[in-house]
Amino acid sequence: MIPTFIAQIVLLLFVFHMLLIAAAAMVYAERKVAAMIQQRLGPYLVGPRGLMQPFADVIKLMFKEQLRPLGADRFLFMLAPVLSAVTAFAAFAVVPFGAETTLFGLLEEPMRLQVADINVGVLVIFAIASMGVYGIVLAGWSSNSKYSLLGALRSSSQMISYELSYGLALASVLLVGGSLSLTEIVDQQAGTWWGFLPRWLVVLQPLGFLIYMIAGIAETNRAPFDFPEAEQELVAGYHTEYSSMSFAMFFLAEYINMVTVSAVAVNLFLGGWHGPFLPEAFGWIWFLIKVSVLLFVYIWIRWTLPRYRYDQLMAFGWKVLLPLSVLNLIVTAAGVIYFAV
Amino acid sequence: MLFYLFGAAAVAASLMVIGQRNPMYSVLFLIASFAALAGLYVLLDAPFVAVIQIIIYAGAIMVLFLFVVMLLNAPQEDISRVRVMVAPSTRRIGALLVVVLLAELAWALATAGEREVWVSAEGLPEGESSVRALGLTLFRDYAFAFEVTSVLILVAMLGAVVLAKREL
Amino acid sequence: MPPLTHYLALSAMLFAIGTMGVFLRRNVITILLSIEIMLNAVNLSFVAFGRYLGTIDGQIIVFFVITVAAAEAAVGLALVIALFRHRETLNPDAFTSLRW
Repeated sequence: MIPTFIAQIVLLLFVFHMLLIAAAAMVYAERKVAAMIQQRLGPYLVGPRGLMQPFADVIKLMFKEQLRPLGADRFLFMLAPVLSAVTAFAAFAVVPFGAETTLFGLLEEPMRLQVADINVGVLVIFAIASMGVYGIVLAGWSSNSKYSLLGALRSSSQMISYELSYGLALASVLLVGGSLSLTEIVDQQAGTWWGFLPRWLVVLQPLGFLIYMIAGIAETNRAPFDFPEAEQELVAGYHTEYSSMSFAMFFLAEYINMVTVSAVAVNLFLGGWHGPFLPEAFGWIWFLIKVSVLLFVYIWIRWTLPRYRYDQLMAFGWKVLLPLSVLNLIVTAAGVIYFAV
Repeated sequence: MLFYLFGAAAVAASLMVIGQRNPMYSVLFLIASFAALAGLYVLLDAPFVAVIQIIIYAGAIMVLFLFVVMLLNAPQEDISRVRVMVAPSTRRIGALLVVVLLAELAWALATAGEREVWVSAEGLPEGESSVRALGLTLFRDYAFAFEVTSVLILVAMLGAVVLAKREL
Repeated sequence: MPPLTHYLALSAMLFAIGTMGVFLRRNVITILLSIEIMLNAVNLSFVAFGRYLGTIDGQIIVFFVITVAAAEAAVGLALVIALFRHRETLNPDAFTSLRW
């Protein structure tokens, strides 16, 4: 029998390392999927089928020299990547990824598979995600380089613009779910309608899901919205001047943010850890599968769609996505009142 | 105990905001101060206000400030360009006010806790139900003020566009 | 819980710091930031009073204050940009063409 607080600490460390491994797996998956889409082989030399490639990358980055441009703001230049990585990790802390479990009688009392159970969890994720922009903005400003500064300026206006649609999409799914706690919303999505249609909120909120995913891609600065680092125009955008481990931290933050956005989408729209065939204790397998599918869609989109033009991005965000999400919110609110869900 | 920690952090960060020559650092210290205040709101059983503080203040308004600071690339503040003359009588009145305010603050702190009983936390809505209670009060008792606020935001938006745009 | 007076004293200190910033700094952006500090000091006392009396109204007022702060920041920063375009400086003492 293991006391609960030790189990909590173990869970914390476990989630931390799983996120690191997820980021490594994403690096590998991205290169492999990109290669498949472009009819190449992708990494295949390091380890079996190139599986050790991300670790080789990390080791290479570790031994690179840490550069700092002349005239860069020393403190902020060091702070920015740390801030990016910390907010990325912190946001995942309130994401539940499995039902309450005793780990087959190993624990004294059942424990939630969630680092911190906060009853306004959705808002906390939103708050932490909105802090993530500072890492990018500070990196761009403190580098004392025009490419970085342009990347940071683009990033801040892009993230403010898409945060609105992101928040409104969250608000409409919260209206249907009737709760601010991720765990409660997931538990509502157990079971099926008429025996075959899973009770996932995506069925009630198809438009909300679409808006959430589009805004999520923009928030995580992924293609086709990767303007902060548009390599054809800005060299590498906000992290042009970064090298070695501070560059690795930006890289890590980007992938972990993707995992978090996907995990929240799975919890809110796709029924979390609920699914057929598997007992409740193995629900986390369903969770992993769903998150992997969404992450694959992320990569798929990146290697299929070309980048927008910047004015198109802003016009799309303000003139299409925002009105759509407001409309979705109004219709949802009316529906909730009408059906008294 | 946490109160004094967060309070000290808020005061220190605010002092740093006005003690900086570089507006970039001022903005960052203000964000730190907001984070400390959000902690205080959690201590006061107002988690929703705490989260709103982070989302709107730190996440949106301060990004706007950073954006302008970066856009103007306005470097250090220049102190010597324009001298402001302060009359000695003004200084004397100011010094007097400082003494009066400090005395008042000291008196208030000295007599604190004599007749102060907080309403116990048991009857209060907490966590998610406090958000529900907030929403109900906001849209029932304060519905008119809420609607007026939307007009205010519209006017502010128009004003900002008219002022900042080079040609309309 | 610390007595209400301590919350109010903290709020007063923050407000004083904000006021000091408005008077002492010679940079329009820092002055706007100082105004934000003052608004936050007021917010703190509202929430503290609301908790003290056991009502939710204190938190409601904070919403309105935050909205006003957002509007103020938007218009204020637009003004800053417009002023900077005219004079290439952020020193408020430089904008004296209407003073005699």
